[in-house]
Amino acid sequence: MEMLQYALRKFITGIPLIVGVTLISFLLMVYFGPDKTYELLGKNATEEQIQEIRHQLGYDKPFVSRYLEYMKELVTFDFGYSDSTGERVSSILKRTVPISLALITPGFVLGNLLGIALALVAAYHRGRWLDKFIMGGSVVGMSVSFLIVIIAFQILLSSNDGLGWFPVRGWNVYNFWDYLHYVTVPTLATVFVSLGYNTRFYRAVIVEEMGRDHVRTAKAFGTPPGELLFKHILKNAMIPIITRIMFSIPLVVISGSLLLESYFGIPGVGLVTYDAITSGDQPILKAVVGITAVLFVVVLILNDIFYKLVDPRVSLK
Amino acid sequence: MSKRISGLLILLSILLAGGCSDGPDTNGMKIYRHSLKGAPTSLDPVQAATTYANHVVVNIYDTLYSYKYLARPYQVKPNLAVDLPEVSADGLTYTIRIKEGVEFTDDPAFPNGKGREVTAADFVYSLKRHFDPKTRSQGSWFWAGRIKGMAEWKKAGSDYDEEVEGLKALDRYTIQIILNKPFPQLVHTLAQGYAAVVPKEAVEHYGREFSVRPVGSGPFRLQRFDSVGVVLVRNPKFRQEPIDLAYEGYDEAVHGQYGIQEIEGKIPPLVDRLEIHFVKESLSRWNSFTKGNEIQYAEIPKELLDDVLSEKKPKLIMKPEYAQRFFMIGGIENAFVFSTFNMRDPEIGYNPDPQREKMNHALRCAIRYAFDWEERNRTFYSDIGFIFPGIIPPVVPEYDPDLSRASLEYNPERGQKLLQEAGWTADNLPTLDYGAVAGVEHRQFFEQYRGWLMKIGYPKEKVVFNSFASFGDYNKAIKQAKIKIIGMAWALDYPDAENTLQLFYGPNGAPGSNSTNFNDPEFNRLYELTSVMQPSPERTRLYRKMNQIVIDSCAIVSGLSRTRIFMWHKDVVSFPNEDIVGGFHLKYVDVKEAQK
Repeated sequence: MEMLQYALRKFITGIPLIVGVTLISFLLMVYFGPDKTYELLGKNATEEQIQEIRHQLGYDKPFVSRYLEYMKELVTFDFGYSDSTGERVSSILKRTVPISLALITPGFVLGNLLGIALALVAAYHRGRWLDKFIMGGSVVGMSVSFLIVIIAFQILLSSNDGLGWFPVRGWNVYNFWDYLHYVTVPTLATVFVSLGYNTRFYRAVIVEEMGRDHVRTAKAFGTPPGELLFKHILKNAMIPIITRIMFSIPLVVISGSLLLESYFGIPGVGLVTYDAITSGDQPILKAVVGITAVLFVVVLILNDIFYKLVDPRVSLK
Repeated sequence: MSKRISGLLILLSILLAGGCSDGPDTNGMKIYRHSLKGAPTSLDPVQAATTYANHVVVNIYDTLYSYKYLARPYQVKPNLAVDLPEVSADGLTYTIRIKEGVEFTDDPAFPNGKGREVTAADFVYSLKRHFDPKTRSQGSWFWAGRIKGMAEWKKAGSDYDEEVEGLKALDRYTIQIILNKPFPQLVHTLAQGYAAVVPKEAVEHYGREFSVRPVGSGPFRLQRFDSVGVVLVRNPKFRQEPIDLAYEGYDEAVHGQYGIQEIEGKIPPLVDRLEIHFVKESLSRWNSFTKGNEIQYAEIPKELLDDVLSEKKPKLIMKPEYAQRFFMIGGIENAFVFSTFNMRDPEIGYNPDPQREKMNHALRCAIRYAFDWEERNRTFYSDIGFIFPGIIPPVVPEYDPDLSRASLEYNPERGQKLLQEAGWTADNLPTLDYGAVAGVEHRQFFEQYRGWLMKIGYPKEKVVFNSFASFGDYNKAIKQAKIKIIGMAWALDYPDAENTLQLFYGPNGAPGSNSTNFNDPEFNRLYELTSVMQPSPERTRLYRKMNQIVIDSCAIVSGLSRTRIFMWHKDVVSFPNEDIVGGFHLKYVDVKEAQK
């Protein structure tokens, strides 16, 4: 009950955040985003047609009324139809978000789990060759552009010039084996890139924790390395780790991965969002921005609840 | 612990449920996997503005006319129409009979879900939609001001129950179109995706979502459409019309090598499932194409030309390792690239002061002398583009191979001299903004352009890059006549030079298609004169005269038609064409083996 009350209270205080984010984003969309009118015009347009399209897109309405309409859409979760395809925005998201989730989740989970594991090893062997090796590898992972990694993995594992084990493009996923077939290479590429960032971050957190008094005391008592790392160090380092993971979730859910989706031919939400940004498809952008803002508030609440779960000293007030 | 494992399993199931769906049974099916460089946004014929949309639309819907599969130069042929139109002696009244017994595919939009017969009234309804502002038509310009009574119909509120004087269904199978003045290109416009026939029931049933839930009477029907591709399956109700290769323009010397003779007498569509993959990334497309079991058709990426070809000139020859596995065809595109000056801008275009007008003309001609087409061809088009003078490209019958190439001459010294003679100095030269959509290649185009201008004495700081985040923004600047130099590419809608000449017709100025804002009284007079003329040597002569007027005005720096090279797998029987025949060719594509 205490938790529910806390969540509700926190959600209400998150409303100004949602309003702020959506207002700034909408302002940018309206005044600095691409003008969709000129994407929808025929080759030999007339002034009359320009005005007709502007009217249909609602561009001739005052900003305030457009923003209030947006708020209404956000509350009802009905963002109307895409200005590009004419499809309902809710149908587009319903179709594409699960695909992006299925595509990104394995890489996200593995990237974080392996990052934590490698960080623990590196931190435990701090200053020694194993630490330097892991950190060196992390820097390599961070330095190579994601695009290059994708192309390299595609050539090595998917194309006929490489091993050719996996498909180059597509998402014909009808069972678990299909899923593994299509998700493996994108996952490996994601892990390769994210591992560097994750390992370095988690190592820094763990190293800080290792220098604390209780760890030194545990060591002095002869606590075995496994217990020391998992029970005394990792558990106490969970708050920054949870924060990092939780705050990545809204982007994973709604943004997808444009590069993975376009290079591997996967019809996820990343491609849809990118097209909406470049073409000025405001109904989709409004949905993506609004839902991301709401997700961030939800994540903020969940984050605090997780803090409480991993650290009983934290109070939900 | 077991609770955690169960939780993980539940999460995994949710993920899989999201990413998976029931798979179609494709065993025994003939599947062809085509690819395109871009994706359509809408499948509503009124918005079929791109090659990509057209490729899909003409395979789901019927058009009255289409183009013969193999004949070059391109020839119009009846599709849903029984024959070519009967045209009255004054060229104003067109009577078209459509085939009987053609049916729309079954769809929940129809009573009991059964598709009904296509009638003349459906065509009338489909064309009227272009003049209903609610549909956001991108193709209305083909017929605007040309069909009698259509403007009035639109003005009166686009009420579909009201008749349009010049567009009627005389009976169930006869269409009558009455024009305000002769429009010899009308038949070509009726072979475009824009002119596809849609059923009113589906438009009303799906509303806005009709654009993604097409219902037609074409060779295929839609199974899936998203940002990366479209899956079409054979329309079982498609009319039985055996292929007559001789009629389609078969020439053993040209088509024999591709095994096209195998499809003689077969009934299109020849495959059960047509997948069109939208792949913007050239390397990914190439990897998928060469994989063997993915896409079966692709354009060779520019950056890989030297790897794939053993010879580019005078003939395109594939390296043996590729020739063993793939077919190839290369040819000049049905389009051209050029750059224009904004003639509405008094700093470089028309100017009320005769002296300045003269100076501006000299400035434009000097810039033209600075432009090195050969170098542009080598740098960006693998040295296989076709350079020609003026605005009538080589793919149309009115092209003049003997036209003087003086306007293509690269002569910076002469350009510099022209500037000096006209009184231009580094101080009084206007700042030129070169407009383009932001991107590496466009930036490179600009840098090369600026380098050439510097050779005629143009100060570097006076040639600036005006980049736009999206095509929409760039188009907006063009439509508002805000850019001085506009990099353009024009893909012809139909094989008639009128389609490029209208780009320079004064009344078509911005926001119309005349982005140059060219407005020459003699050109306009000739355009109006020829626009009602049927193809003839006299019309060709006048077209060429108009071409010369544009060249002499130095309003453009033109032009180059790119050579595009396409490859397809050897187990595919095809003669691909992305230009005029476009998507119409896909119903004739056959694959040798069915899916196992």
